[in-house]
Amino acid sequence: MRPLVNVARLHAIRPLMYLGLPWAITAFSLAVNLVIFGAGPVSNTHRYTGAASITFIFFLFMGVSSVGRTLPFGMALGVSRRSYYLGTALLAVTLAALDGLALTILQAIERGSGGWGIALHFFRVPYILDGPWYLTWLTSFVGLALLFGYGMWLGLVHRRWGQPGSLIFLAAQVTVAVAFVLLTTWAHAWPEAGHFLTTLPAAGLTGLLAVLTAALFTGGYATIRRVTI
Amino acid sequence: MTHAISVAGLSRSYRGHLALDRVGFEVATGSVTGLLGRNGAGKTTLLRILAGQEFPSAGQVLVCGASPAESDRVLSRMAFIREDQEYPDIKVSHAIRAASWCYPDWNAELAQRLLADFSLPPDRAVKKLSRGMRSALGIVIGLAARAEVTLFDEPYAGLDAPARQLFYDRLLAEYAEHPRTILLSTHLIDEAAGLLERVVVLDRGRVVLDAAADDLRGGAATVSGPVLAVDDFIAGRSVWERRETGSQASAVIVGPLGDAERARARSLRLALAPLSLQQLVIHAAARPAENTLEQIGA
Repeated sequence: MRPLVNVARLHAIRPLMYLGLPWAITAFSLAVNLVIFGAGPVSNTHRYTGAASITFIFFLFMGVSSVGRTLPFGMALGVSRRSYYLGTALLAVTLAALDGLALTILQAIERGSGGWGIALHFFRVPYILDGPWYLTWLTSFVGLALLFGYGMWLGLVHRRWGQPGSLIFLAAQVTVAVAFVLLTTWAHAWPEAGHFLTTLPAAGLTGLLAVLTAALFTGGYATIRRVTI
Repeated sequence: MTHAISVAGLSRSYRGHLALDRVGFEVATGSVTGLLGRNGAGKTTLLRILAGQEFPSAGQVLVCGASPAESDRVLSRMAFIREDQEYPDIKVSHAIRAASWCYPDWNAELAQRLLADFSLPPDRAVKKLSRGMRSALGIVIGLAARAEVTLFDEPYAGLDAPARQLFYDRLLAEYAEHPRTILLSTHLIDEAAGLLERVVVLDRGRVVLDAAADDLRGGAATVSGPVLAVDDFIAGRSVWERRETGSQASAVIVGPLGDAERARARSLRLALAPLSLQQLVIHAAARPAENTLEQIGA
């Protein structure tokens, strides 16, 4: 357990990156939205913005950089690949849980203040982040962890196989998506697919994302075991 | 005698290129061993495999009696300082703090003293350090870790002569006070010669020399003087190299020289100069391993 904690501490040695920056960026994005929507004519229409996605995208970035130059330094300090990965994953899951909770609290404030006084939907996203507080928390948690895990895997593929490897990795994902579309078309299964997607409750979607997250973390683990520095 | 490091039949190939070719040697616990050889001889690859950073294609590596690959237990007893170490965007003091968490025998006081000795500013970002200062940071971590097994790979790239001397002095002092196993790869052979108890020489992925440093000192000499006298003196001896310039010649001869032979050289008006470790290594790298040891009499 001790090497895992050391790795998490090694990442957090610069608190700005993992604790400060996500919220500085989210706060800036919120401020920009408040200024833009607040400057317009007052009306009762609800204003939707996807800008809270910036927090999620930043988790992707954190995932990539968590296996950047910190990895060879950690390994130089006698940390095994396994411990490095598990320690980093531990940090990712903890951050996702805490930041997901913060998003949930901000959403509650947004709801309570009538959308920051101007009917702004910043932390409320229709369908996905729209339910009771515990579902908002759960979905944010899973979404943040998913993007961190994906970023980490991508970063590891890049370290192991370089730019050609990263490109093949991305191309493989597109291929899988295209194959899925083609199969659905050939099987004349679009009505069923449409029915599945439109009737899937948000909690069900979260469950699917959780399965995907577990798959991404497993892929990253399999990759780091092959990394050499 | 126990072995802190033992390597047997170790090979590593990269797309047809054999970086290490059936390497085998042992390092006794509590000794300073020099890992010598030219650029591309396989020194760094070997050390990376010892530190679990690279995987072997074949063969076995044991550190403290166990395989280092993916073993936190073995790895935490080992410090590996490499020339091209990557650091995240952190300050010198952060790097020191992180190292202090990871090594069980870390000595904070020593780290502070070494930082001062090498004039390393703790608040400076590592990426703003000069090459020499970055090397010094590695040295500070490597010595303060007090790890049972310490691997230094060209630890003083970019360091000036006084700073290198400081490294040798501190290394010896530390080694005397807290004995440990040190494997030092270096190009500056003569500079480090005084430290080394044993040398392992790699050439194109093979071990070409593995001997106690004391056995090598005086194991070869250059004899120079008039052509006829030189040829007379070297007749019947193992000769590694012979050069002739006009009426003068010089030859590198291997094997121990007795007092009688030294006296004979003097009477022939020949100059005898022992080969330095560096020259010896250069010659050894050009020959099959068995011959060198046999001829030197080690």
